[in-house]
Amino acid sequence: MKPMIPLAAQRGILGAVLLVALWEGVARGFQLPAYTLPAISQIFGSIWDMRTVLARAAGVTVTEALVGYALGALIGIGGAIWVTMAPRVRGFVLPAATAFNSVPVIAWSPLVLLWFGMGMSSKYVMVALAIAFTLFLSTLSGLDRVDRRSVDLMRSFGASRLAILWRLRLPTALPLMFAGLRVATARSVLIAVVTEMLGAQAGLGLLIYQAVVQVDFVQVWAAVFVASAASLLFFGIVSFIERRTVFWK
Amino acid sequence: MSSPPLSAPAGMPVARAASALPRLATGGALRSVLRVALAVLAVGIVWEAAVVLLSIQAHYLPRLSLVLQAIAATPDAYWSGFVRTLSEALMGFSAGAVFGIGIGILFYRMPVLRDMVFPLFIVSQTIPVIAFGALVVLWFGNTMLAKAIIAFYVTFFPVTVNTLVGLRSVDPRQVALMRSFGATRGQLMRQLQFPTALPQIFVALRLGASLSLVGAIVGEWFGDTTGLGVLLLQAMFNENAVGLWAALLCCAVLGTLFYGVVAFIERRLVFWGAEQ
Repeated sequence: MKPMIPLAAQRGILGAVLLVALWEGVARGFQLPAYTLPAISQIFGSIWDMRTVLARAAGVTVTEALVGYALGALIGIGGAIWVTMAPRVRGFVLPAATAFNSVPVIAWSPLVLLWFGMGMSSKYVMVALAIAFTLFLSTLSGLDRVDRRSVDLMRSFGASRLAILWRLRLPTALPLMFAGLRVATARSVLIAVVTEMLGAQAGLGLLIYQAVVQVDFVQVWAAVFVASAASLLFFGIVSFIERRTVFWK
Repeated sequence: MSSPPLSAPAGMPVARAASALPRLATGGALRSVLRVALAVLAVGIVWEAAVVLLSIQAHYLPRLSLVLQAIAATPDAYWSGFVRTLSEALMGFSAGAVFGIGIGILFYRMPVLRDMVFPLFIVSQTIPVIAFGALVVLWFGNTMLAKAIIAFYVTFFPVTVNTLVGLRSVDPRQVALMRSFGATRGQLMRQLQFPTALPQIFVALRLGASLSLVGAIVGEWFGDTTGLGVLLLQAMFNENAVGLWAALLCCAVLGTLFYGVVAFIERRLVFWGAEQ
């Protein structure tokens, strides 16, 4: 008989259940104060109590993350293809991009906030900035993975550079590209939240910041849980698309 | 400030040109260092010229010379911030790299454990670090350790993922061949699987070099008195554009240095790498 749920998923669920049980047991059993570790049931209670506030904040943060993610992915993948198609450009673009990226992404956020204000546009810019380089790097290393001999073979049959890119380089790069896209999902939500914490009018980051200032650690955990759930959902969707697209893996 | 770190890696390959190091790798490293130096110089000239010619307001982009003067006026503050942030990031990065590779190998060896814990790892990575920053600082005190832990936390995940991906990309026929010659599991790992995964791992390590700095800087936002993150935050609250750019410049030098060292080690270790 074939099981309803695949074995890997069963184990995953088992691991999660064990963790939740351990968490709840430790927090309740040792009666830990909320600033050390609130019980999981307490956190979910707080999420339920604040559901409208949290939903509105999550809407803002998710929008920021998605818009920035789309922008950053376009720029990063486009840049990597451009650099591969024009080897001359590569020698200049690669060091410039590396130098640009050498500033830790988050260090730009004070400046971006000064430039673009406290609204949502500063978060779009920050997320796009962070995602673009992640994808540039992973797509480029994927495009470089192509076997020299395959390129030569296709060329000897008169394939154009575009054809080589479309039929050989991109399919070869897809696994690494999707690995980048997958890592980028969590990063996009993270960068949005972190930038919101420095300055924002709405969003989960602002909520977390306010809770920290009010020393309400249950609320911090509640907002963190919602942010994690959002980026987990995002991660799941991209992983699903990856499995459909890179079916040969 | 940027010239000593740039000339150091350039000098080493020259001195060792006669050694067994492949000629190609040496020339490539030297050339790329030169290229970076040229790019830095070009960016500096364009920066200064653009601000003067286009009369950009200092609020957006102050002149490079002003920024450098600001650093020269109080070099101690920037230097101590530089060293502080570097040590935090380095501690977190090394721990994250070792832990990430170790866990990657462990997950590869024990699929049951991977299925149980890997989803939790993914979940743990979706937690916004800065929210945790308050808790980490509370748990470990306002020490360097707290920042190093945040840096570690953001480094280990990409390393784990790429180690796993790299190990799984090994051709099973090669494994079968080595097995048929009686290779042990340790030999398989050392001589085939780990070297095959190494290019992948280094992609993650390069990423981790940047991420660990992010972790250290974000950690400093949660209350500290020294560090580049503190300088950034202070400049933002004072709307001091010159100070902000000066701190950013220090971050850039630190980031380039860190990334450059990792890339240099990569070129020495993975000399067969995919780069054409």
